[in-house]
Amino acid sequence: MALTDTNRPARRWRLDPSLIIVVLLLAAVVIAGFALSDRFGTTRNFMNVLEQASALGFASLGQALVVLVGGIDLSIGAVVTASTVLMAGVVETNPALMIPMIFGTLLFGAAIGFMNGYVTLRTGVHPLIVTLGTASILQGAVLIYTLQPTGGVPFWFEEFAYGRIGGVVPISGVVMLLCFALVWAFLKYSQTGRAIYAVGGSPEAARLTGIRASRITLLAYSASGFFAALAGAYYVSRTGVGDPRVGDPMTLASITPVILGGLILGGGKGNILGVLLGVFLISLLSNLLNYMNVSTFIQWVIQGLIIIFAVSIYVHKGKKL
Amino acid sequence: MTDLSAKPGAAAPRTSAFLQRFAVPLALVALVAVATAVQPSFLSPNNLQDILTQAAPLALVVLGQAFVILVRGLDLSVASLMASVAVLATAFNATSNAMIPVIFAAAIVASALVGLINGLLVTKRNVSPFLATLAMMIVLQGVRFYYTQGAPSGALPEGFRFLGAGRIAGIPVNVIAFALCFALLAWLLHKSSLGRKIYITGGNPKSADLVGIRSDRVTILCYVICSVMAGIAGLFLVGFVGTVDNWVGRGYELDAIVACVIGGIALSGGRGTLWGAAAGALILVLIFNIVIILGLPVQAQMIIKGLIIIIAAALFAKAVKA
Repeated sequence: MALTDTNRPARRWRLDPSLIIVVLLLAAVVIAGFALSDRFGTTRNFMNVLEQASALGFASLGQALVVLVGGIDLSIGAVVTASTVLMAGVVETNPALMIPMIFGTLLFGAAIGFMNGYVTLRTGVHPLIVTLGTASILQGAVLIYTLQPTGGVPFWFEEFAYGRIGGVVPISGVVMLLCFALVWAFLKYSQTGRAIYAVGGSPEAARLTGIRASRITLLAYSASGFFAALAGAYYVSRTGVGDPRVGDPMTLASITPVILGGLILGGGKGNILGVLLGVFLISLLSNLLNYMNVSTFIQWVIQGLIIIFAVSIYVHKGKKL
Repeated sequence: MTDLSAKPGAAAPRTSAFLQRFAVPLALVALVAVATAVQPSFLSPNNLQDILTQAAPLALVVLGQAFVILVRGLDLSVASLMASVAVLATAFNATSNAMIPVIFAAAIVASALVGLINGLLVTKRNVSPFLATLAMMIVLQGVRFYYTQGAPSGALPEGFRFLGAGRIAGIPVNVIAFALCFALLAWLLHKSSLGRKIYITGGNPKSADLVGIRSDRVTILCYVICSVMAGIAGLFLVGFVGTVDNWVGRGYELDAIVACVIGGIALSGGRGTLWGAAAGALILVLIFNIVIILGLPVQAQMIIKGLIIIIAAALFAKAVKA
């Protein structure tokens, strides 16, 4: 089955076919935005969207890496939630620990991701089940700790979400874009990055060419946990509290841009830039629908239909989760 | 990937064969023993009836989920469907018990339609089951919330309470309903030719096609069965809980998958029995009860559930490899 996946066209400087759909949809949303709302097409609005897109961006970036190695991470929402509660919970009583806790929280996320990867590799259980189990464990632990939003952080930490470089460009958005740029360069130019595609294409073949497939897999899962924790840090910065429910929609939300960006569930193929465009597409669409007073409930329906639309257009033969 | 070793009847070493065959009954006995040790009144008829009443709606969902997993699928939309069916039931705003069959018929038709769409997406569009049903889950959720505008209103006939929590000659009504569904589905799966087709399709869809089985149709039918069972379970759960809200059955998708995994339904498809799945549901409910008996916080159930699904899946994966 995997053999059919290897005859991918050589990469040249032309539009990646897997990006066409997301680019077209994005263009459609932007054109519709300019046509339907006079508040949509302003710098101010775009910068707000960029800021609000950063949590989704972090989460989707992590999800994308796991999907590239042929896995899936359904614990992202729970890691986001647990990170907010951990960070705000610890820092509230010890404000001096704010800076160490930023690193501590990111490390916590990476550790959870590592565990996911380790258990998946060690037991041979499908990542869907492993990460679903992890999510249940984490969410249970968080809810035992608190049922309401709790904790607090020093005022200056709000800068991460609300701060604007030159009064215009949101810091969190820039951090998100930097993360995408780094991961993109890493995937394209580093040996380890290319190995991610190889492992996703076929772990067996990758191993035979001397790639340590299990290390690559562990790296991808750890990165996913790390970025989920970063999304958690953004939420803490934005709301000032740890919220035991904030991550609930994130697991699913993180998958949509990955699918829209043309990454194949099953691994080995896809462009990380597509994921970024997918993040912009979802964020701009929801922004526009809000301006048009479309209810959240209808937005859910639209989100579901978009997923179905995107996955039914890319008909992938052979591998699937 | 492990298509060949996944065939039923493949030779396995004694210990793992023993594990696969007896792990489920042993776990059941052990759990009952633990529960009785902690709380001697556990074995009282009244308590057992309560537990069975509690287990029945989940077990109904599990029966359907088992069919989907057997053909290498997964249905994450079951919980959302349960709530949607519950809201659909209130949409009739009926007070007369005579409307109950009508409500059931409407629920079954609507559920079958949802299952059909899931099945078509998975087979004809080659969408991964996980994504197709996940998308279905949100679409249903959006439609449901839009219709109710956040809070369902509308009456349900009194008779639902009897269906969900009543007893006939001491036997819970929903357990009787479960037994009927189980008998029908177990016959279908283990005695009819359709059942054999399901196992062959789950074992290897390509070879199923080669021997003349229309694996697509078999798969779609399994999704329809799963959705219909979820719809029926939704109505019984509403009767048990007594109120309708937008989240009836929340978490049942995970519970149902956990129960199937505990019960030995292989996620790689083609292996496992309906007996196992039903026992898996009972084990899960027993564990939830023990958590309560031990005085642990309710949320501890989530932690235990997460641990169990990973451990159970790992044990069975190991048994398959061996």
